[in-house]
Amino acid sequence: MMYMLDCLLNFIRRVLDTIFSRRITNSLLIFVKTNTGTVVPVGLDPKWEVRDVKEFVAPKLGMTPEELMIIFAGKELQDSELLEEYNLAEQTVLHAVKSRRRSFKRKPRVSTCIEEDEEFDDTKRAAVNFYVYCTSPCANTTVGKIRVRCFKCKSGAFTVDGDPKNWNDVLKPKRITGHCEISQCTDGEVGWSEFYFKCSEHVTKGENDEAVALHLIRNNLHDIQCLACTDVRSKVFVYPCDDGHVTCLECFCEYAVSRLRERRFVFDNNIGYTLPCPVGCPNSLINQPYHFKVLSKDHFEMYERFATEEYVLKNGGVLCPQPNCGAGILVDDDCDKVSCINGCGYVFCKKCLQGYHIGECLPKEEQLIIDITGYSVDPKLVSQSKWDDASKVKIKVSTKPCPKCRTATERDGGCMHMVCTRCSFPWCWLCQTEWTRECMGSHWFS
Amino acid sequence: MAGKTPSEKRLHKELISLVKEPPPGMVVDVDQAEQNLNVWTINMQGAEGTLYDGEQFQLQFKFGTSYPFESPEVTFVGQNIPVHPHVYSNGHICLSILTDDWSPALSVQSVCLSIISMLSSCKEKKRPPDNSFYIKTCNKNPKKTKWWYHDDKV
Repeated sequence: MMYMLDCLLNFIRRVLDTIFSRRITNSLLIFVKTNTGTVVPVGLDPKWEVRDVKEFVAPKLGMTPEELMIIFAGKELQDSELLEEYNLAEQTVLHAVKSRRRSFKRKPRVSTCIEEDEEFDDTKRAAVNFYVYCTSPCANTTVGKIRVRCFKCKSGAFTVDGDPKNWNDVLKPKRITGHCEISQCTDGEVGWSEFYFKCSEHVTKGENDEAVALHLIRNNLHDIQCLACTDVRSKVFVYPCDDGHVTCLECFCEYAVSRLRERRFVFDNNIGYTLPCPVGCPNSLINQPYHFKVLSKDHFEMYERFATEEYVLKNGGVLCPQPNCGAGILVDDDCDKVSCINGCGYVFCKKCLQGYHIGECLPKEEQLIIDITGYSVDPKLVSQSKWDDASKVKIKVSTKPCPKCRTATERDGGCMHMVCTRCSFPWCWLCQTEWTRECMGSHWFS
Repeated sequence: MAGKTPSEKRLHKELISLVKEPPPGMVVDVDQAEQNLNVWTINMQGAEGTLYDGEQFQLQFKFGTSYPFESPEVTFVGQNIPVHPHVYSNGHICLSILTDDWSPALSVQSVCLSIISMLSSCKEKKRPPDNSFYIKTCNKNPKKTKWWYHDDKV
């Protein structure tokens, strides 16, 4: 009898459950990750409160809703808040952890030093977009979203003690404290937060799907006019100088391309191939070269090629002298025979950049009529019967190599003071050595 | 302003402000500039109370497509080239903001003001010491000259 009654009650309960259970109208696939590492995929309704999520998830994890704590982007979500307020995207990871009794109340240790950097303005938060470069799959500059994890164990089950106030808080390590929920991680010691970015224009491929923050590209919240075209545009580039000079994105591209065409980028050992603020402010190098991804594909390829060449030359390497190759090759100090292995396959001498030879390099004049094939042909006839001979002779006659990097340089007028367009070496057209005060005194103009 | 390059937009705005608030003694040839935004001629009067009082000069500005990231090419043109220790007789001007010290934050307006002040502070009318030499050897474009700036006292 009791058994029958139980069965009946269960049945009625199940029917009632089916009728009254929440309808998931606009389901969002979310992954809930626990502090033991288990990941549970669940369909959630964005209209739910966090409390509903706890009730929904707790049984699946063998816990009660009360002992559960839901963490997202470094913040513990409060029971009465709506999921949609957090702008969760498809396949977002929420962290559900058993709340640990905190043994001591830690004071938030948020950096208090005054920053020159622009503060994140809470009142305009909705309008604040972070821009990132998404390598894959977007391969584009996109709108990004900020996420937090534990600096030590990289777990996302981490809550921050305070909000980041500016870009330095976000980009520099160990600026904002927090609490890691992974039991074996930071018990008793200070936890540091680590901020990172994700692209918000594609469905995330998991927790490791990161994007590079383009922190100098910002929404123009203060309606600042571009210093170049003087327009007020919605997206701007803020140079990392003390004054924070601003151009619109279009003018940033113009600036970069005009400097690129003249090879007037700066090679910095820590940053790479980059540019300073166009106004010429000190210490203003763009410290994240991914910003140049904003350029068109062709221009970015040009940037990459120049950057590589610059790196190779800076490190004592050579560029393959074959026309249309120019591959950069790093060579051992004691080796003169260079093969262009990943490029055109040309084998050449490091010293004179001509085809490889045994013994001393030939004087320049004889190199043009070198006999490679082994046939005995009159070298004079050979030199007269070359397709490209006219231009070669012209180049040879009208140019001189930079004494430092050997780039053929044409002098189309002006004084004898040459500045190499590739390596910026100042040299004298007449002496073919470094430019000196003496060159200036004796043959500056003649 | 659709379809205009950043450089055209900037030049257009600079032209308007130069007409509205011209530097003292300067008048830009608006018709010519509107026909070709890349070459401007500015008529200039020697400032009162200076060595150039009563003289008329013409300044020519040429702008490249990368303006304002590249400096404009600025020369004196016409019959009367001011006799000044930093102005060559072919019209080239030795002024650092026109090459090395150029910045996109500068403008036609600020270049004009610098030239006015350069002329106004002159104590003695004479050509640069290397004038005859320079004008024979230099490129037509003064920006191609590697300037060794004279002292900035005059």
